[in-house]
Amino acid sequence: MNPVLPDEAVEFAAAAGKAFADLGGVDAAREAEETPSLRATKVADVLRALGVDDLDPRADADTLAAAAALCEAAGRVALPYPVPSVLLRDRSGRPFAVVPDARCRVDHGDLFPTWRVATLDGRSTTATSTDHRLATRLGPFVSDLVAGTEAAASSSTDVAIDVAVHLTLTAWHILGTADRAVELAVEHVSDRIQFGKPLSAFQAVQFQLADAAVAVAGLRELALFTLWRLTVAPEAATADVLALRVHALDVARAVLRTTQQLHGASGVCDEYDISVLTRHVQPALRLPCSAERAAAELTAAIERDGFDGLFPHGSIAARSSAG
Amino acid sequence: MDFDLGEQAAALRARLRELIATHIAEDYLGAFTTDPADLDVAQRFCKTLADEGLLTIAWPTEYGGGGGSVWDQTVVREEMWAHHEPRGAQYMGLNWVGPAIMAFGTDEQKRQHLSAIAAGDVIWCQGFSEPDAGSDLANLSTRATPDGDGWRLNGQKIWTSYAGMAQWCVLAARVGSGTRHEGITMFLVPMDTPGITVRPIRSMLGAHHLNEVFFEDAWAGPDAVLGGIGEGWAVIRKALAHERVGIARYARCERLLSALGRELAPVWDQLPPALHSQWARALIQVRVARLLAYRTVRAQEVGETPDVMASAARIAVTQCDQQVAEVLFQALDDESLEAGVRAPLHGAVEDHWRYAQAATVASGTIEVQRMIVSKALLADRSGGRS
Repeated sequence: MNPVLPDEAVEFAAAAGKAFADLGGVDAAREAEETPSLRATKVADVLRALGVDDLDPRADADTLAAAAALCEAAGRVALPYPVPSVLLRDRSGRPFAVVPDARCRVDHGDLFPTWRVATLDGRSTTATSTDHRLATRLGPFVSDLVAGTEAAASSSTDVAIDVAVHLTLTAWHILGTADRAVELAVEHVSDRIQFGKPLSAFQAVQFQLADAAVAVAGLRELALFTLWRLTVAPEAATADVLALRVHALDVARAVLRTTQQLHGASGVCDEYDISVLTRHVQPALRLPCSAERAAAELTAAIERDGFDGLFPHGSIAARSSAG
Repeated sequence: MDFDLGEQAAALRARLRELIATHIAEDYLGAFTTDPADLDVAQRFCKTLADEGLLTIAWPTEYGGGGGSVWDQTVVREEMWAHHEPRGAQYMGLNWVGPAIMAFGTDEQKRQHLSAIAAGDVIWCQGFSEPDAGSDLANLSTRATPDGDGWRLNGQKIWTSYAGMAQWCVLAARVGSGTRHEGITMFLVPMDTPGITVRPIRSMLGAHHLNEVFFEDAWAGPDAVLGGIGEGWAVIRKALAHERVGIARYARCERLLSALGRELAPVWDQLPPALHSQWARALIQVRVARLLAYRTVRAQEVGETPDVMASAARIAVTQCDQQVAEVLFQALDDESLEAGVRAPLHGAVEDHWRYAQAATVASGTIEVQRMIVSKALLADRSGGRS
């Protein structure tokens, strides 16, 4: 039992964090909203310098851990780039995304001409981008791709693993955002004086911070555990990955709500990082589906495969016993 | 990165389950029911575990233990709690009274008490909380006054679990006129000492869980002091650190959620979809609670003092206990009100719901845990500014 990221992954994340800070931190997201082309230039250059082109999270456990740590670092600053997707590019350099059943809606879909996409249940195809972006406050870089007619040339097992890794890396991105949101709230309530004392002196504030921090700590443990499951049993980790997705969404919703509230009116102002983080993480929370749909998929997966992981207590699968 | 507890832990888990299957009935709901035979089952099972060398598997060998790892201890905790703690009240002696005596006791205290605990012969209770010293334990006012070469004990304890069946009490009392942590001293006191009266408190938890204990000029000898006069707070801190990770509530939650899936299999599809989702989310919460508890164990393993981590884990574990209780009740609907062996899952769900209501209060309220966590968060911030 050694539930920690390898040192190399931690060091890589620190280097990535510094590079993203040098890029301007959350300001890079603000600038990209004004000038979307910066994503393909400044942001892509930074990632290239970090060696992201040589990182394949499917290669081995250490590389998967490094990829996860990178996604967390990106989530901390709302890095305007589809990091999980480019990490899962194929040999032709096409990025990969998990998409909703109804349409090929992808964050930063306009950045690359062709994509590989798959639905949660593993139906895969290629897709091509258009210049159209939603360009909304909550989906500034979200694009609808045009699905191709040919299935992507990958085995169903490979696609399933790509889906699982994409969902997991996206959860790490969400973890980074949630973790940073708690830090921002701690900073704000420590500095903001009301009634003659810092907001942090109020127990109602302290308790909300504590609950948010515990929620993020729990999400981090589950994210680590899921990485390990993907390493030791990639083909049996469907329920584990969906559980991480559901939990990441549940935690992010609660933590972002709390931390925004603790910022007062500033929480909805883009001058404050919490507002930008909350807006820019929405595509990760809604694509390929929101928490309730993910929970329905999870329930089906547990009924089918169980949820024992390490800790067997006999068959947990409800429907399998029903015959 | 590795989350595997290893082959030794897996073998230990299998062995414990085998023993439980052999000695503990499927419908056993713990030692503290209205049926005295259930207490006898627990006492016998402790002897069985002692004979098998499993009762003190995690104690150091020099004190008659198995020298097992913190992970062995974790497996024991999980399997016992998952199966309604068939060690009954003795878990307290094993989990922290024994270790506290090892850390703070005299040679004579170690000789007298450790072998008795290890043999499965003795039940301990802890005299900590008082009517005016609950979360604020340092406000305790039970007094120990010098009398000859010993002490006279006067005061009242409350919420004292198992006081009615315990042979010994670890008592926190104040020596001298100090306030807060000053003068707090721990005493090891036989419960049959004249001047000690136990009054059970009727509660939804069931028999033996909560009691008041009155000390009226009860006498304790000079050798009753554990850890030195006025040094009781250090003992309490160590005890609470053990206790906060001491109950693997998540293990029972997981077992009950699994059992519920099987119990309701014939009607599973007819349950409201929202309930399916609550059930799945409860399983996630159980996993998260377990992983946070493991983080604390890991910190202990590498020699850290995981105060803040233990509080975070405890917040997650106790909230999970209550969340699971509610999901189980929602699923059973009107049948949830039934108790006893004819009730769904032999009454285990009804028992769990009642007991879970105290989860966020027992061993330090969730509010105290939140204070500890938020203090650490905000200290980091002020540390960063200075």
